[in-house]
Amino acid sequence: MANTTISRRKMLKGLGVTMSLPWLEAMGPLNAWADQPTDSPATKAVPNRMAFLYVPNGKNMVDWTPQKEGVGYDLPAILKPLSKVQSKLQVLTGLTADKARAHGSGGGDHARALAAFLTGAHPKKTDGTDIRNGISVDQVAAQAMGGQVRLPSLELGAEAGAMAGNCDSGYSCVYSSTMSWRSATQPLPKEVNPKLAFERLFGSGNRGDRARRDAARRSILDFVREDSKDLNRRLSANDVRKLDEYFTAIRDIELRIERAAKLPPIEAPDYPAPKGVPGNYEEHIRLMCDLIVLAFQADVTRVSTFVLANEGSNKPYPFIKVSEGHHDLSHHGGKAEKKEKIRSINIFHSRQLAYLLEKLDSVREAEGTLLDHSMIAYGSANSDGNAHNHDNLPILLAGGGCGTLKPGRHVRYADETPLANLWISMLNRMDIKIAQLGDSTGGLKHLG
Amino acid sequence: MNRLDGWGMMGTLAFGFALGQSAWAAGPDFSRGGAAFLKKHCVECHSGENPKAELSLEGFTDSASVVKGRKTFEKVLRMLALGEMPPKKKPRPTVGEVGAFTEQVKAVWDFADRHAKPDPGRVTMRRLNRVEYRNTVRDLLGVDFDPTESFPSDDIGHGFDNIGEVLTLSPVLMERYLDAAETISKRVIVVTPPKPAVRYLAGIYLQPGGSTTKDPFRRMDQASEDAKVAGPFTGPGGYFKLTDDAELFFRATLYAETTSQEPVRVALYLQGGGVSKGSSAAELAKVFGGDSPRMKGAKILKTFEISAREAKAPQIIEVKISRVAAANAGIALVKPPSGKPHAVLRIRHLSTEGPLETRPQSHRMLLGAQTGTPPAAQQREIITRLLRRGYRRTPTPAEIDRVVAFAAAQMQAGLKWEAAMQKVVQVVLCSPKFLFRVELDDRPTAPEPRAIDPFHLASRLSYFLWSSMPDDTLLDLAAQGQLTARLDAQVDRMLADARAGELIRNFMQQWLQIQRLRTVAPDTKRFPAFNEPLRQAMLRETELFCETIMKEDRSLLELIDADFTFLNAPLAKHYGISKTGGEQPRPLKFKGAEFQRVLLTDRKRGGLLTQASVLTVTSNPTRTSPVKRGRWVLEQILGSPPPPPPPDVPELEENGETVTADTLRRRMEIHRKNPSCANCHAKMDPIGFALENYDAIGGYRTQDAGQDIDASGEFADGTKFAGPEDLKTIISQRKGLFVRCLSEKMLTFAIGRGLSYRDRPAVEGIAKALEAGDYKFSVLVKQIVKSEPFGRRRGIQTKNTNED
Repeated sequence: MANTTISRRKMLKGLGVTMSLPWLEAMGPLNAWADQPTDSPATKAVPNRMAFLYVPNGKNMVDWTPQKEGVGYDLPAILKPLSKVQSKLQVLTGLTADKARAHGSGGGDHARALAAFLTGAHPKKTDGTDIRNGISVDQVAAQAMGGQVRLPSLELGAEAGAMAGNCDSGYSCVYSSTMSWRSATQPLPKEVNPKLAFERLFGSGNRGDRARRDAARRSILDFVREDSKDLNRRLSANDVRKLDEYFTAIRDIELRIERAAKLPPIEAPDYPAPKGVPGNYEEHIRLMCDLIVLAFQADVTRVSTFVLANEGSNKPYPFIKVSEGHHDLSHHGGKAEKKEKIRSINIFHSRQLAYLLEKLDSVREAEGTLLDHSMIAYGSANSDGNAHNHDNLPILLAGGGCGTLKPGRHVRYADETPLANLWISMLNRMDIKIAQLGDSTGGLKHLG
Repeated sequence: MNRLDGWGMMGTLAFGFALGQSAWAAGPDFSRGGAAFLKKHCVECHSGENPKAELSLEGFTDSASVVKGRKTFEKVLRMLALGEMPPKKKPRPTVGEVGAFTEQVKAVWDFADRHAKPDPGRVTMRRLNRVEYRNTVRDLLGVDFDPTESFPSDDIGHGFDNIGEVLTLSPVLMERYLDAAETISKRVIVVTPPKPAVRYLAGIYLQPGGSTTKDPFRRMDQASEDAKVAGPFTGPGGYFKLTDDAELFFRATLYAETTSQEPVRVALYLQGGGVSKGSSAAELAKVFGGDSPRMKGAKILKTFEISAREAKAPQIIEVKISRVAAANAGIALVKPPSGKPHAVLRIRHLSTEGPLETRPQSHRMLLGAQTGTPPAAQQREIITRLLRRGYRRTPTPAEIDRVVAFAAAQMQAGLKWEAAMQKVVQVVLCSPKFLFRVELDDRPTAPEPRAIDPFHLASRLSYFLWSSMPDDTLLDLAAQGQLTARLDAQVDRMLADARAGELIRNFMQQWLQIQRLRTVAPDTKRFPAFNEPLRQAMLRETELFCETIMKEDRSLLELIDADFTFLNAPLAKHYGISKTGGEQPRPLKFKGAEFQRVLLTDRKRGGLLTQASVLTVTSNPTRTSPVKRGRWVLEQILGSPPPPPPPDVPELEENGETVTADTLRRRMEIHRKNPSCANCHAKMDPIGFALENYDAIGGYRTQDAGQDIDASGEFADGTKFAGPEDLKTIISQRKGLFVRCLSEKMLTFAIGRGLSYRDRPAVEGIAKALEAGDYKFSVLVKQIVKSEPFGRRRGIQTKNTNED
């Protein structure tokens, strides 16, 4: 499926008010990569994809950061599970999520870490009244490329949102459980149920049923929109904001229906539809990973986020002999026994990443594999859970990005290099030119 | 009132400072103490033409100025608390001096707020959360649709999942609303009703007795002396699905053999408990002749002439049975004219078809209309009723017109009427008027406080107490303008209704944060007693306990200390209360998961603080956390939460030792010597230590890892305690703090927004009424629904009300 600027522009114009972001004007003709190798396997026939995976509470950094830089880097304990895909992996050391720091807002490093991870924005400390963060990189991509695929983006998680109270020192739970932000004020809830995620990707019922249902839905949506348009006059500004969410959601669905009618039909994959949320955490994560692979393979979406566990999660991991809560352990106070357990959890998560990467790499596509045509970012906006520091973050970037990346290296960046610079560079590789995202200061060099 | 500080959130309405200078005579005096601190430590830099950080602290010399400069002082307090001001190079005030200054500023605000003019604020319109959606669909349409699996979880703000500002509507959720509306509409209205069920009872099974013949036709010959042959024959009404709320056909398939020229007549009849009025003795005698004991109490439905004479072509007779749950349905020969011979009946089977109505109850309820009016009027009646209940107010004629036209267009496009009405249900369920609790306002920007519309009041009441839509009584009272006048009676009625259980489940569980019980995972190696039945039992104990406080209208203070609770076998074992005899009304005998009310004989249990639910959710998976328990009591019970820990401070230093209660306590005592921690931990930790007799899943213990538990200690103010019993006593004595905290929490839940200092007068009013009203549960609820923020509102002038 070819990328065409014109259709994208047209599409965005159609989105109206919610899409009127200044950077769209900057979208020029598509890509001439200065640093793209001439013998790149990338062809424009194969689309590039991006996924962002988050793990909470930081890492044992000594067991994460390779000693050697460049090609042929070593794999410390936490990275060991990734040995099979090492040549398709970049370890990026030295990046910083400055906006996760307090900046006068006091405690709440966990909530801020997840909120700032993809946004480069400093979330507003509130227990709910006026949630405010920034748009996240995946949503920038989703909004720019929506017209080309069925689903602009897919938001997944393997731990449901917290059920009580504020989650971290006065920050609403939405910050510590949400990675994707459609706008500064609209967090996008993650889907934790594989069954529903699957249905969202591939629908239920056959193609004819879906088309009929879509048509029926349009008539419902047409009616409710017309019927409600005069409500605004008699609502306060705050109510109007809520009603706007409603109208935006309706518009989104109408667009999805329009796209479904225009795009070639997707074949339901040869994969058993998941039944629900597995009781086993590892199985749950892997099922979600499978869905990312299936979605990319069928080109249903090209953008996905996946929160493996909420930031500050106090989940115990008894199946790897860690019965204490993850968050409690992360405040290890330098104690060896606790650090070992933290490392076990870190390794467990790496194994899940390895599962995803190996799976992507096993799917042949054009001249390479699905992994060659993807950019998978993995990491945390907390470095050491004990210190709550947000510099020198554990970040991996896997995949070839359609030949725009040069994986198989450990790259060290200057201290305080904004993490958001990586997001800018990834967007550029999706042919999305954007001047700034959150606290970014430009693109990230030495990626490809 | 720590918790209300800095929560200003209701826009920038010019909120006049209501206290005149003279009113301060009785209040705290900033000019003594606070002003001097400011002058000594702050004003030097924060003054003049170019004050540092563009913050001038000049002119704040009396209490009134501190109230006017509230936002400025919030910043000042924050910088002081973080230790960022005064700067390091300047002389530092002592921890005590900072504390005194902070206390005085807060006391000034507190005083001003309590004496301020009431301000109802304004609630942002609330989307129905998952629980409310489910209940509303049930009460509106009569079906139970559980959205927990398909709808994303609702975001939580201010501790609750019904806060308007926080409940967002994502495209994914809207898709799920569409899905749900389709599913629900198809369940409540059926386009093609399924065929009624048919049940046959073969002749061989008819009563009395059974037949030995292999002939499929059972013989009935009244000339015979043998009852098995002679009949009359019946079949059980239960098998035939006879019921007093449905109609069905009762049939017999048979032929007759006779030597006589007389017509053969039979009767179908009912007999037994469900027959309210049988046929008269005279009538029975006329049909069956003389005294016929076997037919006593029977109700003859109909008599038939049987003309079929051979098995090849049997005759089917039928009668409609309307709403009777008889014990038996039967067939009998009618006595032939005197002197004529009896015929012999051969019966293949008795059967029923029905209930004839196979459409769900909801279908009839929704689509029923007055008979005898023209179809267009009926359609309008049906739609008006649905919109009134769905939108929870009187719909406008234009709204009705639009839906009527929509239904007509659907039918024009080829849908049957029922299918078009399914679509109507769908548009209602997908309308913002249904999905949101819209409180329309002709003057959304007018700043004067005024009463909300009676329909809005009806919804606020029903969603507060039932987490569901208002019922017809509430809507009718609202329409008549009578609701405000009858609030007390309505609250009493609503609390007595079964739906009020939702208040317990939704408010209490969130207030106490015990929904987390569903996901906690205590280390089962350390706590082998923890299993699924115990988890369920913990939650249920608290629910039953709170429900009893509500149902029996008991004192809220019993939430802290009570002499009763509810136990089942797993929980009784967990608490070690298996055979407490003595004062029990009857000896205890626990039967599995079944709960019973138990009178407690000591104070180790009784009240929320000592319930396993609360003790478990405030623990770590492997051990107790005195800090978490202390913080929980301060936040949820006393309403004075400690500020969050300063950034970059690791929680606890440990040096390779096993964590036991004793070492924990020693470590935390060291912790409290660190001045940056001490201030708050001095408040939290003692409370937690008083609860150390309860392990991480709430089991009672006197030892931990071989060492005796020491549950004694001393609060920051010097109050000493020896264990959990003392803690309950101490908190009970501070009942003013507790009821204010509970009032704030419940008010937040009731109005669906976070409270601000402007709500202080309302909270004070509720607390005072509770004091005068024996702290009864119903007083709390009634005071809330009569409070300024619940029943009134004002407009907001600014566009962007996020920035306060």
